[in-house]
Amino acid sequence: MDFVNNLGSGFVIALSASNLFYCAIGAILGTAIGVLPGLGPPATIALLLPVTLKMEPVSAVIMLAGIFCGAMYGGSTTSILLNIPGEAASVVTCLDGYKMARNGRAGAALGMSAIGSFIAGTLSVLGISILAPTLASFALKFGPPEYFCLVFLGLMMAIYLSEESVLKGLMMGFLGLLLGTIGLDPVNGTPRFTFGLSRLTDGVDFVVMVMGLFGLAEILCNLEEPENREIFKTALTGLLPSREDWRLAWASVLRGSVLGFFIGVLPGGGAIISSFAAYAVEKRLSKHPERFGKGAIEGVAAPESANNAASTSSFIPLLTLGIPGNASIAMIFVALMIHGIRPGPLLLQEHPEVFWGVIASMYIGNAMLLGLNLPLISFWVRMLKVPYRYLAVVVVVVCVIGAYSVNNSAWDVGMMVFFGVVGYLLRKFAFPAAPFILAMILGPMLEKTLQQSLIASGGDPMTFLSRPISAALLVVAGLLMLTPVARQIWKRRRFGQNV
Amino acid sequence: MRKPGEIVVGLGFLAIGIGFMVGAIHLKLGGPTDPQPGFFPFLDGIILIVLSAIFLFNAWTGRIGESPAFGKLLGPVIVVLALILYVAALEKLGYVITTALLSAVVLKVLETKLKVLIVVSLLLPVASYVIFDRLLGVTLPPGLLSAFL
Repeated sequence: MDFVNNLGSGFVIALSASNLFYCAIGAILGTAIGVLPGLGPPATIALLLPVTLKMEPVSAVIMLAGIFCGAMYGGSTTSILLNIPGEAASVVTCLDGYKMARNGRAGAALGMSAIGSFIAGTLSVLGISILAPTLASFALKFGPPEYFCLVFLGLMMAIYLSEESVLKGLMMGFLGLLLGTIGLDPVNGTPRFTFGLSRLTDGVDFVVMVMGLFGLAEILCNLEEPENREIFKTALTGLLPSREDWRLAWASVLRGSVLGFFIGVLPGGGAIISSFAAYAVEKRLSKHPERFGKGAIEGVAAPESANNAASTSSFIPLLTLGIPGNASIAMIFVALMIHGIRPGPLLLQEHPEVFWGVIASMYIGNAMLLGLNLPLISFWVRMLKVPYRYLAVVVVVVCVIGAYSVNNSAWDVGMMVFFGVVGYLLRKFAFPAAPFILAMILGPMLEKTLQQSLIASGGDPMTFLSRPISAALLVVAGLLMLTPVARQIWKRRRFGQNV
Repeated sequence: MRKPGEIVVGLGFLAIGIGFMVGAIHLKLGGPTDPQPGFFPFLDGIILIVLSAIFLFNAWTGRIGESPAFGKLLGPVIVVLALILYVAALEKLGYVITTALLSAVVLKVLETKLKVLIVVSLLLPVASYVIFDRLLGVTLPPGLLSAFL
């Protein structure tokens, strides 16, 4: 029972006064941005990166993780009350959550989603403490070829799972790999694509880019139409689900948690897919599937549990393999790197305090979120009544300050605006931004391991296929890429040439 | 049906791919036994070119799903222009003045009443200056108001 001791030492770190404080700040901020449309978790984390520079690395990650998990809680509030998902991961909660609110059961829906999320988060933390060390020690045996294939598979999976169009995802991924080469070459330090500008030798700044792509771009989209939203007015009584609710939903919470946990481990899997999958599973297993979409409590319990379990377990590939699976986790990756901590299989040996401290604080964060969400729901609802125009102008100002603060220069604000416009156009043509960010972050690792593998094997590309683990990883990546093509061919065979 | 918007986007990706590929050749490619700085960007560039070509073909022949439609473009265009001017003027005029003007533009685009617009555009820059510059230690350019701030 090694992990009990380790988790215990993690709790000692997480329960220190300052870390509890940062955890609470993260949880509150996270819930707020989850409730409010406009600034999602990746942009918020990017914004706070400069602030975390002066903090201890553990505290920094604890706060950022709190934001990420808090947003999942907050997002469900708007889904249920407004039929507007605060976060993409709560889209499916709208289906039954909003119906429950219309049936006068908003309280039970909010309560179920908060309690379900808490249970799921708790189970997921236990899962991490057991699974992560095993995975890390397995990954320690990897050489450069295995690592290259693993990173490549992670990237392909993130592309495959993130959006409908794999082609668009791939284009964004390779664009990210290319932009990631701007700056000094990771192998021998030659400046590349810097056009002689000293500002570009460190590469394109992630913070500035993410604030533009995720923060400003969102605002620009919303500027097209001055928005009108109406909050569904309902008496918020009886936040605790009834015994009948529990009888119907307890199994859904557990199934959602387990499903969410495993989907969350996959890069690109994360909270969005897991919530849809959990909803689909519940509907299929239910004896009364016709109740779904009309206010079935299982339809709230399962996806909300799943997205929380998944957002917790998406830390596994980051902490054990050094591969961030989504844009928020990618920002936490950047935060660790800024503090000189390299996420990966060695993290557990080199910085056990970071590893176990973060895991324990996620558990504490879950408890805090439950405490925050149930009593404070009426506060969050009131916050929703703030007109969008104030929110928009504050987000713009905050993005400007955030970009300026990176190097105290207007150049970075300009870059932020540039990426904001790029992000806006990409949204308009339905190109996903997450694969781009992941590829930029993973690019240097991919390049280094590729070069090391090639040099070690005397330039033989077959080295990737002659080693069992790397070959298996490559085959899976290849199959993922080929499925859309295969599906197209199959469709055409079946429905004739016109499809 | 041809998708002109998508074709422009596809050409943009294609141009970036070609640009990086050409740049990579200038950086020296090396070979698999001895990869040089240009090796990796060259490979990526070629793959992006191929992907863009497939995308362009699909856009030309209309085998591409619908993208979300553009709404009224006026709002985003005005705000982006305001932001460009903002970047140009930020260090000369200072944070408070430029941010007040920027806030006013954003609020105007979102159809705010004049009275509210004036109050918010005056309060927000000052409040954020105090919070970030004075309390959180982010240095913001004082500009013309340096005598007062």
